[in-house]
Amino acid sequence: MSELGPIFRALLRNKVGAFLLALQIALTMTIMVNAIHMIENRSSMMARPSGLDEANQFYLSSNGYAENFNERAVVEEDLRNIRALPGIVDVTQINAIPLSGGGWSMGLQTETGEDKPSVGVAVYFVDDHGIDAFGVNLIAGENFSPTEITYRQRNEQGWPQNIIVTEAMAKELFPDLTPAQVIGKTTYIGGDEPMTITGVIDQLQAPWVGWSGVERVMLVPQRTEFRSSRYFIRTEPGQRDRMMKEVEEMLVAEDRGRLIRNVRTMEETRDDSYRSYSALQTILWIIVIILTIITALGIVGMVTFSVNRRRKQIGTRRALGASRFDIMKHFMLENFLVTSVGLLLGVGSSIALNIWLVDAFSLPRIGWYYIPVAMVILWLVGQAAVFGPARKASQISPALATRTA
Amino acid sequence: MLRMQNIRKIFKTEMVETHALRDFNLEVEEGDFVAVTGPSGSGKTTFLNVAGLLETFDGGDYLLDGQSVKGMNDTQLARLRNEKIGFIFQSFNLLPDLNLFDNVDVPLRYRGFKAAERKRRIEEALEVVGLASRMKHLPAQLSGGQQQRVAIARALAGRPRFLLADEPTGNLDSQMATSVLDLMQEINNQGTTIIMVTHDPMLAKRASRNIFVRDGQVSEVGKEDDIVELLHKTAQVG
Ligand SMILES: Nc1ncnc2c1ncn2[C@@H]1O[C@H](COP(=O)(O)OP(=O)(O)OP(=O)(O)O)[C@@H](O)[C@H]1O
Ligand SMILES: [Mg+2]
Repeated sequence: MSELGPIFRALLRNKVGAFLLALQIALTMTIMVNAIHMIENRSSMMARPSGLDEANQFYLSSNGYAENFNERAVVEEDLRNIRALPGIVDVTQINAIPLSGGGWSMGLQTETGEDKPSVGVAVYFVDDHGIDAFGVNLIAGENFSPTEITYRQRNEQGWPQNIIVTEAMAKELFPDLTPAQVIGKTTYIGGDEPMTITGVIDQLQAPWVGWSGVERVMLVPQRTEFRSSRYFIRTEPGQRDRMMKEVEEMLVAEDRGRLIRNVRTMEETRDDSYRSYSALQTILWIIVIILTIITALGIVGMVTFSVNRRRKQIGTRRALGASRFDIMKHFMLENFLVTSVGLLLGVGSSIALNIWLVDAFSLPRIGWYYIPVAMVILWLVGQAAVFGPARKASQISPALATRTA
Repeated sequence: MLRMQNIRKIFKTEMVETHALRDFNLEVEEGDFVAVTGPSGSGKTTFLNVAGLLETFDGGDYLLDGQSVKGMNDTQLARLRNEKIGFIFQSFNLLPDLNLFDNVDVPLRYRGFKAAERKRRIEEALEVVGLASRMKHLPAQLSGGQQQRVAIARALAGRPRFLLADEPTGNLDSQMATSVLDLMQEINNQGTTIIMVTHDPMLAKRASRNIFVRDGQVSEVGKEDDIVELLHKTAQVG
């Protein structure tokens, strides 16, 4: 380390080049820190459990086209038949698929009145088999009873008496109550229509994965009579692919005046929904890697240039007693200083960019450890980049001191 | 003190082999001031580089301070250069980005001296060459003669036994050349052995001993030899 003083003073006399490289390193660190932060943020969003038994679930849609399509009869028979198949755990009719991107939402509030605050919530119309088909756990209250399931018409405005909500929704409505205490509480939908919470489930995600309220869901004990409906099906572990075929074949076997379409697994649905996330992650990784490579090449270029420019100086140092190792150390230390200045600038700009991202896109703050980790990585990148040119410098013959003009 | 026996140095390129030194024999005693003259391309710089351990040789033996340097590795040679040899170059070879203090500091750092010891030696060496007041200046802010004085201070600060100089006055006008030579003579009087390559017979005349190199071989020139003859010999090829 004893060399640091004169190396630093010499660098100050060649400010511009060193400073530009330091700026490049600062920029690389800024983008690296924030991009990896975004990558990790997306990863943690993708890792959130949906509450479902995704590996063993699929769904399909059934659309009536015939004049005499008797939806009620068909749906009830379908559900009975599907449930009777060995390998099926349970099935429910449903209006929207979790994570799929399309669905219903409403607002619930704890006091009546249009002007009172309401909490947005995703709405799933399911029957008494909903909880079982989802594979979620009831942590308080009771499941719907078969007798309370009603049919909902396309333009119906009213709501049934009872609902089941997720724990996250219960907390949002009644922050101070435990799930058990929430049972029996009244909430109001559409401003003033009362509904009673009769059950709380642990977890279930809404159809919109990017929504900040993705954990807020309510189950409404109704089947829809919209001529088009979906069946959400859960199979025994490992039976999904077989059951998909079997169920589809069974449903299309008899002409009931409807079409079976869109037989898809929950896994495909999840992949589709998060495709833009993983694409963004890939792009960010590419940017980080390319930027790091460009910075490394910039260092290689600058050190190579400076070695070539200083060949005679290096020869002179060798003549004055520098060993090959001393010459290598010289360039490594010089690079360490430039990199350090860049990284110190980078700490500031990384935090500044993050603060802006937090403001503009409500991204979370970066964890403090991003800063030291990025610094260590870029220090190592810098030292690795400088190694080759520094080694070449160390091979310069001391005779150059006398052999060049 | 310094003894070369049948030193051979061959430069090989793709096309030609140059025998830069052939059976080069020389013995230099402690306290000598040796001036080396000879035509251009005769091998003077090659001899100095071998003597200063800047270049290796292909045959013969070389004893520095009674120690054979044959077979030493690069690190050992660097260490020996650093401890025993001071260099003065024709184009001064100061490091342009370092001020005078840091320039003189370079060999002392490689020596591993402590900061206080280095500071004492640097100030003392710059004092000797009369530039102590300009320690913070950059080389570019000095005249050629002053730069060469700094180079001498740098060579002296490590208190080497040998001072090797390749055309130390080659880039200086005659007045500055004289003052640099005065300084070297003073250093020699303090006991440092000096070997100096020069083209200038007038300067060579001031050395205690003159050798003449031709075709990579030494021929001694006595002190009493006619300076005109020397001039003549040099002019023949140079
Ligand atoms: N690196 C090299 N590769 C090939 N040949 C070389 C090399 N260095 C020197 N030579 C050759 O060795 C011979 C001796 O060169 P040297 O530099 O020792 O001469 P010199 O006496 O110092 O000449 P000058 O007075 O011009 O400085 C010359 O023929 C030269 O061309
Ligand atoms: Mg020469």
